[in-house]
Amino acid sequence: MLEYQNLFTRVQVRTAPDPGLPLEDSPGARLGTGTFSYLAGKFGDAQFGPIYLGTAGLFSLLFGFLAFEIIGLNMWASVGWDPIEFVRQLPWLALEPPPPQYGLRVPPLNQGGWYLMAGFFLTISILLWWVRVYRRARALNMGTHLPWAFASAIFLYLAFFFQPLIVGSWSEMVPFGVFPHLDWTSAFSIRYGNLYYNPFHALSIVFLYGSAVLFAMHAATILAVARLGGEREIEQITDRGTAAERSMLFWRWTMGFNATMESIHRWAWWFAVLTTFTGGIGILLTGTVVDNWYLWGVKHGLVAPYPANNVLTPEQQQLLRGRYQGTAPDSFPSYVAPQPAMMLDSTALIAPADSMTADSTKTDSTTARKTP
Amino acid sequence: MSILRRSIGLVAPFALLSLGACGNAETDSVQVGYRGTAMEQNYDHGDVKKQFAQVKIPTSLPPAGESPPGPLPWKNVQVLNDISVGEFNRTMVAMSTWVAGTGNCAYCHNVANFALDTLPSGKPIYTKLVARRMLQMTRQINGQYSQHVKYTGVTCYTCHLGKPLPNGLWFYSSQTDYLRHYLDRDGARVISQQIAPSNVNRSSVKQTEWTYALMINQSKSLGVNCTYCHNSRHFASWKEAPPARVTAYHGILMLRDVNQNYLSPLQPVYPSTRLGSQGDAPKAQCVTCHNGVYKPLYGAQMVKDYPALWGRPDWNGVPFQGVGTLVADTTAKAPAPSATVGKKSAALPAASATGSMVGGPAGGTR
Repeated sequence: MLEYQNLFTRVQVRTAPDPGLPLEDSPGARLGTGTFSYLAGKFGDAQFGPIYLGTAGLFSLLFGFLAFEIIGLNMWASVGWDPIEFVRQLPWLALEPPPPQYGLRVPPLNQGGWYLMAGFFLTISILLWWVRVYRRARALNMGTHLPWAFASAIFLYLAFFFQPLIVGSWSEMVPFGVFPHLDWTSAFSIRYGNLYYNPFHALSIVFLYGSAVLFAMHAATILAVARLGGEREIEQITDRGTAAERSMLFWRWTMGFNATMESIHRWAWWFAVLTTFTGGIGILLTGTVVDNWYLWGVKHGLVAPYPANNVLTPEQQQLLRGRYQGTAPDSFPSYVAPQPAMMLDSTALIAPADSMTADSTKTDSTTARKTP
Repeated sequence: MSILRRSIGLVAPFALLSLGACGNAETDSVQVGYRGTAMEQNYDHGDVKKQFAQVKIPTSLPPAGESPPGPLPWKNVQVLNDISVGEFNRTMVAMSTWVAGTGNCAYCHNVANFALDTLPSGKPIYTKLVARRMLQMTRQINGQYSQHVKYTGVTCYTCHLGKPLPNGLWFYSSQTDYLRHYLDRDGARVISQQIAPSNVNRSSVKQTEWTYALMINQSKSLGVNCTYCHNSRHFASWKEAPPARVTAYHGILMLRDVNQNYLSPLQPVYPSTRLGSQGDAPKAQCVTCHNGVYKPLYGAQMVKDYPALWGRPDWNGVPFQGVGTLVADTTAKAPAPSATVGKKSAALPAASATGSMVGGPAGGTR
């Protein structure tokens, strides 16, 4: 059967695995000698391993495992150690941050102490993984684009730690759990008056969606010129009449402007990096500088005015608005352990004939009697 | 062949998409806000038909005939002592089917002596004590919460649907914390009314999640989505919200009153089997009356036929047939009840401070 071959649909070669470059001052060693996987070859290179773990990698996995275990065991405990319920309810289970009344104090383990511990270990794990990514990039004499892009993602992750720190309550942190963290996202947006009016949230979305579009444009372009050898980017940059020139010409003809073989990757890198970076800024401004993004949008002409649906006077609106709850940090959510309710007219039980005299539908009867 | 196969593969998804728009799967989109803002409700024809068919309204009993003249003969009637004998008996019969479901007087009464609140053994009949309180609650709802129930009002059947236990009763537990928090005692507001953060509003994200849970609970209870009551671009805004939100707000106030003053205090009356795991009385939530429909029983105005539950001598400006004169008859002998009724009807329209706020569009009028 005829099959078109290039670097993307390569023949899977089976030979002695390539051990990789010998590196001079590489701490630690590569584990294993490498093996081949047919399935891996369908998606990328068929060779699997040898893998380099190193000190940072080892400790990163260790701390990551600790965090994973704390989260998982807490979730399991929350269903009374029932394995079936654990699996059934897993998407809804959570390890929640401490309740608001603890502020920035250290809560008991079952009141969010485990959460803080898991968060701490997870953060250590992520930071150690960053160290590992940085060290590997340097060891291979590469640029440090990968670690800095990863750092941008870590910045967003840490923003969810610093924002609660500035606001002054651990309770604002994101719960661990599948649906719980999504619910948190909704609640966070609602609490701060609709995050869609946060310009940095908007920028983040632009870069996120932009990343996807750029990814699709670039991938499609390179695949389309693969028949001309387009995947061999470097040697094509300087040649005329090649895949590279055609792919650039395509975009120049289509939209007047084209990226180059080199700049398209800068475009993609910056879009990806700015997605999390602008997102993190948006989080840090929320609740610290701006408490209601919708009203901020009204002030700055971002919000389109619609005619009112409800005809209410300001006084009526004020009446409906009621009052805020929880002016003191210790008072919300004001959970009070249930107490046995007292009957308003508890004499009713002793003397049934007089029972339920607190009939509010008849409160005027005494006054009415006076004015026949 | 392969071209044919490929083209089928291309066409099939589109064919499925277009088929989905046929038949009973059709939906109605009802606009509830300014155009182009996605303020709309979607009603699935099949679902609505099915739900509507499930709602069974009991035929109302024939009007009470003439009552014997003279003072009311009651010995231990504490709530319904302002209506005629005929109307009283008619209401009792209706309640026996609405709540007990069996038409069985003994569900609430010591049939040897209907006036007693105790069994022959001397034990209190808790069902009778509860029913008495529920009658007071029904009159309170119909009288004080017209901002929520309008002229549709409620009867025992609105919640009980022919069963002793209504749907959606809830007890204290970690799962119902949000209900306890808002329907039982507290407010739901978390969004700031100014741009900059301040100590005026220190609501937490967790508190917001409880509000969110309460809102989703309401949405499910009424079978509607967020935009039924809110412009979702600014949930806090009353001006941009559909008028239904005001109706819903009074519903929350009503539930709080009902739970605090009528349902929870019955705790000592109930046998332990009726109490929750923390020993608390069963309480109501939105779904208890609404049962998944934006208007309970699709707006059937059952209370129109039961003046005893309405608690006033006229309904929507129309005097109850026969009842007015009968009440007048009793007035001659006992002036207090009639004066009560007269005063009540005058006082009630202005009962709520926000009474005139949303005169026109009621939550369920569309």
